[in-house]
Amino acid sequence: MNENPVIATVSGLTVEVDGRALVDRVSLRIRPGTVTALVGASGSGKTTTGLALLGEYPAGARVTGEVDVRGARIGYVPQHPAAVLNPARRTGSLLRDMARRQVRDLPRSRRRDAARQRVTEALADAQLTGSEEVLDRYPHQLSGGQQQRVVLAQALLLGARVIVADEPTTGQDALTKRRVVGQLAAVAARGIAVLLLSHDLDVVRELADEVLVMRGGRVVEQGPVHRVLDAPTHPWTKELLAEPRTLPYADPELTGAELLTVGGLTARHRTGGSRVTVLSVDRLTLRSGECLAVVGRSGSGKTTLARCLAGLHRDHTGTVLLEGKALPRSLRDRSREQLAAVQYVFQDARAAFDEHRPVLDQVARTAVRLHGTGHREATAEARQVLTDLGLDEILARRLPGRLSGGELQRAALARALLARPRVLVCDEITSGLDPVTRRSLLDLLAVLMRRPNGPSVVLITHDLDTAAPATRVAVLDGGQVVEEGPRERILTAPQHPFTAALLGASRGRGAAARP
Amino acid sequence: MKRLRRYGPGAAVAAVPLGLALAGPLLVGEPSARGASFTVGGGHWLGTDFVGRDVVQQVLLGGRPVVLVALAATALAYLVALPLGLISALTHRRWLEEVLMRPLDVLLAVPSLLMILLVAAAFPPGAAGLALLVAFVSIPDAARIVRAAAAEAASRPAVEALRMQGESWWRLAVGYVGRSILRTLAADAGIRLTGVLYLVATAAFLGIGVAPDAADWAVMVDRNRTGLLIQPWAVVVPALLIVALTMGSNLLVDAAMEKHTPPPKGRRPGSRP
Repeated sequence: MNENPVIATVSGLTVEVDGRALVDRVSLRIRPGTVTALVGASGSGKTTTGLALLGEYPAGARVTGEVDVRGARIGYVPQHPAAVLNPARRTGSLLRDMARRQVRDLPRSRRRDAARQRVTEALADAQLTGSEEVLDRYPHQLSGGQQQRVVLAQALLLGARVIVADEPTTGQDALTKRRVVGQLAAVAARGIAVLLLSHDLDVVRELADEVLVMRGGRVVEQGPVHRVLDAPTHPWTKELLAEPRTLPYADPELTGAELLTVGGLTARHRTGGSRVTVLSVDRLTLRSGECLAVVGRSGSGKTTLARCLAGLHRDHTGTVLLEGKALPRSLRDRSREQLAAVQYVFQDARAAFDEHRPVLDQVARTAVRLHGTGHREATAEARQVLTDLGLDEILARRLPGRLSGGELQRAALARALLARPRVLVCDEITSGLDPVTRRSLLDLLAVLMRRPNGPSVVLITHDLDTAAPATRVAVLDGGQVVEEGPRERILTAPQHPFTAALLGASRGRGAAARP
Repeated sequence: MKRLRRYGPGAAVAAVPLGLALAGPLLVGEPSARGASFTVGGGHWLGTDFVGRDVVQQVLLGGRPVVLVALAATALAYLVALPLGLISALTHRRWLEEVLMRPLDVLLAVPSLLMILLVAAAFPPGAAGLALLVAFVSIPDAARIVRAAAAEAASRPAVEALRMQGESWWRLAVGYVGRSILRTLAADAGIRLTGVLYLVATAAFLGIGVAPDAADWAVMVDRNRTGLLIQPWAVVVPALLIVALTMGSNLLVDAAMEKHTPPPKGRRPGSRP
């Protein structure tokens, strides 16, 4: 591998914003046909380094060091590909515009066919199947995975020699992850260099040739993938590589009576003029003191189920009973006690906070509104709960924009806990977090559940590692509960083919389900 | 220092007409005796107007009606548009949204100046009436902007999180959604003020809501047109003041908007010595 010529080098790159180094003396070499992975927690400087290859830096940055790409074109596939696709144009016309510029020197009569040919090739290289349909669609009509492949096709069409892929698998379910891995491997096999920015170590293990582990803007360890991941020397790498939690979240001793019961639930979404049924659940129960994991791919209806429980999705029929009493469908009709009893933690903690008010004030409002506590006592209570969850007062007095994703998710937990809920609905609260932050958040959840009067938890997730320590697991596919039972049974002896496929995909990437 | 550079030009341009409009009537003193029409000099710095009054005095007196009517009309329009827009953005009842917004769409379809002329022909208004009338025709635009901006803010998870906390409608609508759309509204209010100024000045120029010989910048432009070639100051000065007010408020809005556009990108490595 090392005899390959180097296509791009970064040496001693330092990027500072307001005197704080986002990237600190980073050096790396990229060779054609290989996958180089930058691994690290969020905020470790991966994206800044990746964008440096494109000559892009954060606003107002002070940059020193050398980035040399020898005139090669660099393609960038961002984490949210929808942001770089023109929403007003069909995929096909976007791609053909790009191709047309490359066939200018051909005679006019042959340009059209040549452009078409190039588009088709790029789509095939990006492994975009059913490409004829995709060409006729607008970006918002494509799935996240398809959008990603369209952006990749654009980069390939423009003749990129290096592809920077930013967190391509974050927030994706196991089956989608497998596809992304396949597609990046195919790109590398064509002799294109891939720079993979990721905190998903399973994907890195499978794809990468070289690994650089980053922390706080510095490279703390680097080397061939097997050396770094199998025999890590730096303590931070070891922490990143630690096994996910297998201890159960809930204490099996504490499981009590039925707390929340869902019966005959049918939920609909309005698309255009028509209403489409997206979820139908005959019966699902949560006993007090237990943790029920709801697992499924994106679009399986698991978030809709969670939102029905919390009263955020009002277009449904059927019943949601809390200790035998029906909960009103919309949270506007729920009493303070009912609101406090079922609390919801959002997937995107940043979007779930008001960016103009300090976190502490926002957290304290729960106690003020739901328990009628005075402002002063509520603030004291909020401060105590936040400290308890590992956020000191200095952090808590900041605006949400100055907290990290993991810190904000803790604050969101604190905000829900101040209601002293019986049921805590956690919607993908760990997706988008790096393994270390994820593990500490889930450990925290377990601690909370095991306290006296601690909440029972409905854990919505696409990640089997996150679901594995739950008391029971319900698997959702196409809006139906296809399988439900104790975790030992679901994870070792799945009955439904879909569950088996999910488990298989998960095992395939090296992370065996750990019952 | 940065602030001065950003807001300085706009403030300087707008300050002259605003200052004249607000302080002018206090500085004007006793009305001087009428002289001959359209003369230059003879104790009058800017000459005399079409009925022989001192142009300086007329300019000092004539700003207040224009500026006050425009400001009042803008404020009134927002007073109605804000609750309308916020309610229809935050409600989940489709019919309520229809009831609130649909009539405004009808109003939007009628050209605003035509509307003012029609109503004024039937009920000749005074200054307050003109302000009401101009506010009325500005409501649909303003309400739509408020609703569009608020609908985006209202769809964020933060609003649902506030609802989970049992927050009141008031806190949601004003405390969060209102706060989030403030920047958009400030920008829109600036543009709206310019539009309203245009309407007020045009209406006054056409003689709506003002006496034919009133001390009013717009009326001055109209009445003194006949003497433009003999005594240009009676037209040029009030016209320039109106232009300065419009331009100044636009510059201020632009400056306020600029605040959150990112500064230029950092340098490329290797480009520094």
